[in-house]
Amino acid sequence: MPLDNLVFWVFAPICVGSALAMILQRNAVHAALLLVVNFFTISVFYLVLGASFLFAVQIIVYAGAIMVLFLFVIMLLGVDRDEPLVERIRGQRALGVTLGVGIFLELFFAVRAGIGFATRAPASFDRVANEGGNPVALSRVLFRDYFFPFEVTSVLLIVAAVAVMVLASRQRRAITRAEVERAAAQSPARETAPDPAP
Amino acid sequence: MRTPISYFLIVSGMLFAIGTVGVLVRKNALVIFMAVELQLNAVNLSLVAFSRMHNNLNGQVMAFFSMVVAAAEVVVGLAIIVTIYRRRQSASVDDANVLRG
Amino acid sequence: MFDLAWLIPALPLAGAVLNLFAGRRLGSRAGWVASALVAASFAVAVAVLIDLVALPGEERRHAVRLFEWIAAGAFRVEATILLDPLSMTMTLVVTGVGALIHVYAVGYLENDPRVGLFFSYFNLFVFFMLMLVLADNYLVLYLGWEGVGLCSYLLIGFWHDRPVAASAAKKAFVTTRIGDAAMMLGLVLIFVHLGTLDFETVLGPEAGALSNGAATAIALLLLAGAVGKSAQLPLHVWLPDAMEGPTPVSALIHAATMVTAGVYLIVRSHPLFEASDIALTVVLVVGLLSAIYAALASIGQFDVKRALAYSTMSQIGFMFFAAGMGFYAGAMLLLVAHAFYKALLFLTSGNVMHGLHDETDLRAMGGLRSEMPVSTAWFGIGALALAGVPPLAGFFAKDHIVNFASQSGRATAWVLASIAAFISAVYISRPLFLVFFGRRRTEARAHEAPWRMHAPLAVLAAGAVTSGLVLGLQAEGGLLERFLEPVTGAAHGTGTGPSEAVLIAVSIVIAVAGVAVAWWIWGSERVDWQSFPERQPELAGWLSNAFYLNALYSWLVRAPGLGFGRGLRVVDDRVVDGAANELGVAVTRSSRLAPILQSGLVRSYALAFLLGAVVLLLFMGLRF
Repeated sequence: MPLDNLVFWVFAPICVGSALAMILQRNAVHAALLLVVNFFTISVFYLVLGASFLFAVQIIVYAGAIMVLFLFVIMLLGVDRDEPLVERIRGQRALGVTLGVGIFLELFFAVRAGIGFATRAPASFDRVANEGGNPVALSRVLFRDYFFPFEVTSVLLIVAAVAVMVLASRQRRAITRAEVERAAAQSPARETAPDPAP
Repeated sequence: MRTPISYFLIVSGMLFAIGTVGVLVRKNALVIFMAVELQLNAVNLSLVAFSRMHNNLNGQVMAFFSMVVAAAEVVVGLAIIVTIYRRRQSASVDDANVLRG
Repeated sequence: MFDLAWLIPALPLAGAVLNLFAGRRLGSRAGWVASALVAASFAVAVAVLIDLVALPGEERRHAVRLFEWIAAGAFRVEATILLDPLSMTMTLVVTGVGALIHVYAVGYLENDPRVGLFFSYFNLFVFFMLMLVLADNYLVLYLGWEGVGLCSYLLIGFWHDRPVAASAAKKAFVTTRIGDAAMMLGLVLIFVHLGTLDFETVLGPEAGALSNGAATAIALLLLAGAVGKSAQLPLHVWLPDAMEGPTPVSALIHAATMVTAGVYLIVRSHPLFEASDIALTVVLVVGLLSAIYAALASIGQFDVKRALAYSTMSQIGFMFFAAGMGFYAGAMLLLVAHAFYKALLFLTSGNVMHGLHDETDLRAMGGLRSEMPVSTAWFGIGALALAGVPPLAGFFAKDHIVNFASQSGRATAWVLASIAAFISAVYISRPLFLVFFGRRRTEARAHEAPWRMHAPLAVLAAGAVTSGLVLGLQAEGGLLERFLEPVTGAAHGTGTGPSEAVLIAVSIVIAVAGVAVAWWIWGSERVDWQSFPERQPELAGWLSNAFYLNALYSWLVRAPGLGFGRGLRVVDDRVVDGAANELGVAVTRSSRLAPILQSGLVRSYALAFLLGAVVLLLFMGLRF
């Protein structure tokens, strides 16, 4: 069996399995970790498909930055406790699973009708598209044909950073009278006012 | 490469479906968000596969941009989740039902 | 004088309007004004008559066009007055007897606070009655027809604070309405078949061109109207109850004029009736049955006015009977005579009621001869005239009719009519003896009426005595008959059966025998008639309740009517209101479903739009 076939058949089950396991985990941290596994397998797929640059970027950005961020927030919020199993909305699970299966089937048949199961990639990819190696070829396309969107995304990143700073900062705000009375009601024994928060 | 492109697409479809189910079934906001990331990755995979099939790099460029935007989005989304958590002391999306009516 | 003929109806109309607006200020003078106007109308009518008679017999027909009433495409009706023997006869009766009754009413109603309004209605009635009899086309006739119905309603219910009177007025209106509706259909049919409502065309030669079916339909529909207005079977139930109105009303409207409108209609429309082979027979049967039924019913009545009401119905039955035989002049002669003596009878009973402070029960009267001698004389004249004792008017009128039955070969009808005549003599002598003769059954002191209430009665009595002699002395070719011949045609007996002399003798015997029987039962003390209701409660019940026809109608009409009304109310409550309410309830219920969708849960919303996405994909996948 050719190497890429082997690689595919090894990593595809891991990929799907880790995804499934991720959504079935009750512990959020476990789920995050399984997702990391999933990202690794996807990066391997990128490599197989001739996108070596994306292989690297996937690991660095997704697994390295995004998932780390996720884990930080999970730990910060203390939501590593297990999620309760009871489903409150009637029929949500059944319908959800059904629809998921439905989507998969639709995509399956779309693929079958679209390109069929026998189509192989053209062998000339490495010569034509990836000329000079994938990073060089990609940068050639990116900085020439897609230059404007590239700059726009850089602006986007700055905007996102600013937005996060705004969202995450604790604002000093005026203490409402209701809160003062509530505090006074909660501690009627106190004779002096409590110290203001730092 | 001898693997048919459709195999990758099938895998991508599976991942997308799994991500969808995850969004619907889970109650923890963060896990839901992770499932959305799974969906995004599935799409990226299919983009790259098509790029291979069409013998040009447009698909890869699209996948690249998708990743950038996903990163920005994750950042902002987590910030929102944190803010909501601070207000409500709960990360379950079921508890955020103030718009009930 | 023909040009001033429009004054005949105009004068009473002016009186009606005047009394309507100035009645309160005029007070008791209103009555004199009203009477004077009717008398003036009578004078004009006499002048017109003189001018009419000056014309040769066949040309005695003058139409006076007043104005164009309706002009709607093909349908044109003009308000026209017709002056011919028939209409003049009716006009003279209406205005003459009407004027006399007006004068009487002045005294009768002098203490009533609404006397001005009364005379306004009274004059209005005379106006409508004149329009009815002077009409030259069916629509003007119908105008008068409806108008007298209205005035009858207003006058019966004049003392509207008495519930009995109000409901009697309503009953009269509703019952005659049935007949009026049928008559309107008849008018429509006339227009459909003949294209016009003018008498000249409809009652001219073209009437004979109508098909039998059409003529029968028209005639029977007109007959229905006549039956209602003239209180014949089966639409008679309103007349006894109509006696709740003041006595002058009973005298004028329900004896002399309005109830005879039906007879006038049939006589006027006789070409239409003759064009059908069964219509006249129906008229005959209706008349004969009504005559016998009412005569029997009158015997059972203890209220003097109700007895007289049934008497009117019976006498009109005779008129219908005559018309049904084709003997129109005979019907008209009886009509004229009846106007005199029935008005006389009613007004005299008014005297008695006035004297006994509105007592009407015969059982509470008796022996009033000593205190009310003049009234006794009037009532006696009227009763004997009705009974058919010669030489009073009723003898000639009724005798001619009954004899005609025999002479035209209708033996069974003659027998039945003779029986009816006998019962008539009995029933009319009964109140005469019960009120004025025999032992007193009341302690009240009765006083005689003032002279101004006697004066009109004197004139009426004179009419009752002489009109028969003057107008109908000869069996065939009497004055009235010859006068009416251009309109009614001549009626001839076939000359079969017993001779004239025999028939006359039989009539006289019947009349006298009837009076004698009545004397024996009620006048002398020999028969205990007072305990009759206890001894024979069933028979007495049948008689006094007029064979329970009223109750039958009540059961037939009222109960289903009320049931229908209640049913409709249920429909209104449940179906109509229910639908409206259900609409509101349904909206409320459905709006309670809506919040279920708005749970506020993100996952539900996500599910919802994922569902949409899947469906969309499916749809697109199937298309391609």
